[in-house]
Amino acid sequence: MIVPQTSPLSPSSVDPAEPANAIVLDAVSKRYGTFAALDGLTLGVPHGIIQGFLGPNGAGKTTAIRILMGFLRASSGSSSIFGLDTWSAGVQARERVGYLVTADALYPDMDGIDQLDFAAKISGRNPVLRTRVLDALELSSATLAQRLGSYSKGMRQKLAIVAAMQHDPDLLVLDEPSDGLDPLIQQHFETLLRERRDAGRTVFMSSHDLAEVERTCERIAVIRRGQLVANGTVQELSRHYRRTAVIRFRSAIPDGLAQIGEIEYADARTGTVRLLIADDINPLIQALSYADVAHLGIEEPQLQNVFFGFYDGTQVETSDIGSAAR
Amino acid sequence: MTMLRITARLLRRGLGGTLMLFLGIALFEFINPVIGDSLGGAEVVQGLFDQLPPGMRAIAQVQPDFFIEAGFAGFISLGFTHPVYFVLVSSSVVGFSARSIAGEVDSGVIALTLARPVSRRVAYLARVAGLLALSLGLALVGVLGSWIGTVIVDLPAGTGLRDYGALFAASALLAWAVGGMVLGVSAASSTTGRVVGWATAVLVVLYFIDYFAELWSVLETLGPFSVFRYFDPAIALVEGRVPWINVLVLGGAGTVAIVIGLLVFERRDLPV
Repeated sequence: MIVPQTSPLSPSSVDPAEPANAIVLDAVSKRYGTFAALDGLTLGVPHGIIQGFLGPNGAGKTTAIRILMGFLRASSGSSSIFGLDTWSAGVQARERVGYLVTADALYPDMDGIDQLDFAAKISGRNPVLRTRVLDALELSSATLAQRLGSYSKGMRQKLAIVAAMQHDPDLLVLDEPSDGLDPLIQQHFETLLRERRDAGRTVFMSSHDLAEVERTCERIAVIRRGQLVANGTVQELSRHYRRTAVIRFRSAIPDGLAQIGEIEYADARTGTVRLLIADDINPLIQALSYADVAHLGIEEPQLQNVFFGFYDGTQVETSDIGSAAR
Repeated sequence: MTMLRITARLLRRGLGGTLMLFLGIALFEFINPVIGDSLGGAEVVQGLFDQLPPGMRAIAQVQPDFFIEAGFAGFISLGFTHPVYFVLVSSSVVGFSARSIAGEVDSGVIALTLARPVSRRVAYLARVAGLLALSLGLALVGVLGSWIGTVIVDLPAGTGLRDYGALFAASALLAWAVGGMVLGVSAASSTTGRVVGWATAVLVVLYFIDYFAELWSVLETLGPFSVFRYFDPAIALVEGRVPWINVLVLGGAGTVAIVIGLLVFERRDLPV
């Protein structure tokens, strides 16, 4: 079962009558014959945050997003957006959603402005944010007057972002949004996302760009082989990854270090030890107080390493981090 | 309103190609009365026709002494049973039906619509409306081309508005039947090429069932299984009517396939 949670930001624009989570995936599985693309995925995304959704290729990110958008029907479990089932009440749910289609999934025979007008009209909402998003992504009127056939991949991606955001949806669902964007535009795009979050909107985005995720997302969910393996803030996830202590002793390497952490490397000749330690470093400090230490360095866990650990399965699963993990 | 917007978008896509096909059909049907006029009279046409080998006569799908009895109206109807006409009409409706669902799933473009508050039913019915408009358009340009040719050469075909109206209805029903069956297949598929391939194969088989049933008596029992059997422009032009059985079979085949397609499309997974 999903544990309801309130938004950490508690934006004032969130209706108190709204369900606790903007997105709920409850024990969702998707099977193709014997292959399970999703295997009991459970995840709740609170209102008013930017939630990252990470995982290696084939982990099930896109399948989960397709189920949310009503393109796929879950084999079991349920999914909802703002309390509305994404399959049986998908039309009502999508009234409040902006979804980023892939850059190739635009009509090549239309010009940019026609494409945006078409998207706005069938969304049934005025494109109140169009100018702001066009400016931020530096899409000019001259570009919009051209047919999409002449657009580069990056330009198509920008247009797809405008189409997803222009009607100021309550929830943005973005699959690899910065794919094809240059660094400057990517920065502007991240600013846009933060603006929408500050206005009480919710963003759910998958990405392979870990730096972008770290900069942008309050919470990050990691899936592997169709299952949630971690969900929490960047700090929470990092805490569960071990630091690396590099110690050089002037005398012999003392005994008992193996009880403090995992010895990754030890060289008796130089007296150097690389020790992987968990969140609490006090046992190490106490142990070293009795030793003759020439050098002590502690490397904080890199987010990249944290995720590589989740991706390849060497990192412990932390899907129950904190009280609001699921 | 949303449905009509989607329909308009679908019809605009590939509009240039569709207009070229319309022009081709109109010109093909325009030429037919001009040729008829150059031949002289119905007896001459019948004489020429009788000299053709049975295999070529079977293409026309007409009874002995047809031109003596039907006159130039019968000759004009040949333009609508000619394989070129079938190819032009079929390629237009097959292209639209395959492109509008399987093609859009293939490219992912369908997500533009379905990621918004648009039900799959509305999205599908928009395609049905597009097919209906296309079928009516194809029928109209063929009839117009034929009528203009007849008027310009002042062919004594004895055809009036009622006859052309019946020809229009028969032609639209054929396009609807073919397009509807392909739309039904397209609703269940995710690749344009597969739909076009299967549709082409099935249409060719159905055409040759009708053709060989006319030619070889042993295959006569298979004839009713072809939709082409129920397209009879000669009766439309000569008698000004479309037999009810033709209306039921052509209209029914297209409609039933479309309804099955809707049921499939509303339930299937869309990998977009």
